[in-house]
Amino acid sequence: MSEREVIVRVRGVHKYFSRGSERVDVLQDLNLDVPQGEFLALMGPSGSGKTTLLNLIAGLDTPSEGRVEVADQLISNMSEAQLATWRTRNVGFIFQFYHLLPVLTAYENVELPLLLLPMTAAQRKEQVLTALELVGLSGRLNHRPGQLSGGQQQRVGIARAIATDPTLIVADEPTGDLDSKSAEEILNLLGVLQKELDKTIIMVTHDPKAAERAGRTLHLEKGRLVHEQVRQAHSA
Amino acid sequence: MFHFVGLIFKNLRRNLLRTILTALGTMALVFVVTMVWSVLDFINSQTAEKSNDFKVLVTEKNKAPSRLPRAYRSSLQEGAARGPDDVKPVDYMTWAFYGGTLDPTKMSRENFLFLIACEPEKAPTMLDDLDQLGPADMARLNAGVAKMKKQANAVIIGPEQLKTMNKKVGERFTLNGLIFKDLNLEFEIVDTFPEAAQRYGQTSLMNLDYLLQGIDEYESKNKKKLANADDPIAFIMLKVKNKSDYERLSAQIANSPLYTSPAVRCESASSAVSTFLEGWKDIFWGMKFILIPAIVITLALVIAVAISIGVRERRQEIAVLKVLGFRPGHIMFLVLGEALLIGILAGVLSSAGSYLLFNKVLGGIALPIAWFQRFFIPQGAILLGFLIGAGTALAGSLIPAWSARSVRVADVFSKVT
Repeated sequence: MSEREVIVRVRGVHKYFSRGSERVDVLQDLNLDVPQGEFLALMGPSGSGKTTLLNLIAGLDTPSEGRVEVADQLISNMSEAQLATWRTRNVGFIFQFYHLLPVLTAYENVELPLLLLPMTAAQRKEQVLTALELVGLSGRLNHRPGQLSGGQQQRVGIARAIATDPTLIVADEPTGDLDSKSAEEILNLLGVLQKELDKTIIMVTHDPKAAERAGRTLHLEKGRLVHEQVRQAHSA
Repeated sequence: MFHFVGLIFKNLRRNLLRTILTALGTMALVFVVTMVWSVLDFINSQTAEKSNDFKVLVTEKNKAPSRLPRAYRSSLQEGAARGPDDVKPVDYMTWAFYGGTLDPTKMSRENFLFLIACEPEKAPTMLDDLDQLGPADMARLNAGVAKMKKQANAVIIGPEQLKTMNKKVGERFTLNGLIFKDLNLEFEIVDTFPEAAQRYGQTSLMNLDYLLQGIDEYESKNKKKLANADDPIAFIMLKVKNKSDYERLSAQIANSPLYTSPAVRCESASSAVSTFLEGWKDIFWGMKFILIPAIVITLALVIAVAISIGVRERRQEIAVLKVLGFRPGHIMFLVLGEALLIGILAGVLSSAGSYLLFNKVLGGIALPIAWFQRFFIPQGAILLGFLIGAGTALAGSLIPAWSARSVRVADVFSKVT
């Protein structure tokens, strides 16, 4: 692991749900540091808690116990409204099924999170065009999701994730719905974001080939980190 | 906020068929409410007491329809005032009715004509709303009245009635009496009511003196009296300055020894209309307290169902918006905004469309209640359409909007993996 500034700090995190009188532990006593600019992959079998961990780090959920800090901000104690504001500025999301709004064009989908920030129309336009150019979709600004291929939709999703210039990018199975060629393109793009823009990326995946692109892979089982794999060539 | 409005518009395009059906449903129900409200509003305006320019109806006390002797006319026009301290009306109008058919062998609607016999010069000041006419229309009405004064058999007939009878200004005709049976009178149409006096489209005016003269001539010619020849007057309408004068005038007339056989009574015009509409009271009550609330509730439910389906279909999308940083208030605003946009646009379109269609194109709603032949949609109906559209949309979408704002992102995205 590098000696760069730690941007995500998870300490003693437990997450459990109540199912009737039964308590279901999803994450147990989890500790994790993610340095700035790292590309981290989370792997594990279904039910291991990797998406739950991703949600906690991204401020979509709060832990039952423990602390989650991102960029020196304790997010595990924030209210829903505070987390919403925090997410807009600090986290970019990439989903497995893209989750673009079908009534909006590629341009409008990318612009969506920027509407929540105090920006002029010109500033928004500049950021949207930059993001779409970065993912290679400058020529598809006015296309709706239904008019784009799966790979193109995912690239719009990535452009939306980076449009706000977030501290952290989280990706939940970003290649899970794509053919191998498109998956390769998306992984290349994530690599570019990490290497050239110094973005910190945390990616949940089932695909070992996708995980190979990450500098470090953490394996979870039954809510615990059981194995860590560091790839020297990719570490920041 | 402006961007969100744009987003709301785009969301409405998502399922265009559902949006259109919801809007059409809203328009249909707002249309019904507009119609019902317009009728009730008109009736209310007719039965509401005015604070100034009180109109008083002097009618026969114990009989309906009222019949007053000719001898009452002159003294009642003075309000039965005898001394200098007595109240005198500021204006008056004597009302009698004459009606008949153009063709006694064919008693069809288009051949029938009902006339108000009065002092012609009183029509502009004593008939409701005619004083609101513009200068050009008023000049035209006054010219028609002048012709009626000069020429005893002249009549002014409303444009719709003229159309029904297939007659034009300048034509002459003979009416075979049905009210005052066997009294046949000849008339000449000297003018019609101006278009602006829409409520008088089916009203016809004749000179009272011509009717009285006809009754007298019939008697001298046929050596027998017509039925009601001695009491041909239906009522006398008086105008006083205010309610206090109305009360004093009523007492003056009630205490006068001149009106004993038959006795008379005074009512404010609005009260007289109320009395006349007594038979419709239950229907109006039902329209006001059952029909309108039922429609409003139905409308709220229609919107609630449409918005609920939309929210349920877009649960994941709402979660995505939350992930991107939209706060619960933003989500609620978007959902309420969609409902409000449909409700307000459809409501205003329906009520404004009804206003234009019925008032400007069709010349009123043909719904004969009592002596009111046509109703007009008041301008306030456009505001009503806005308020009903907005109110029902808000009421119908509150629960779906609350449900949307409460979507938990983690519940939507986190299958535990």
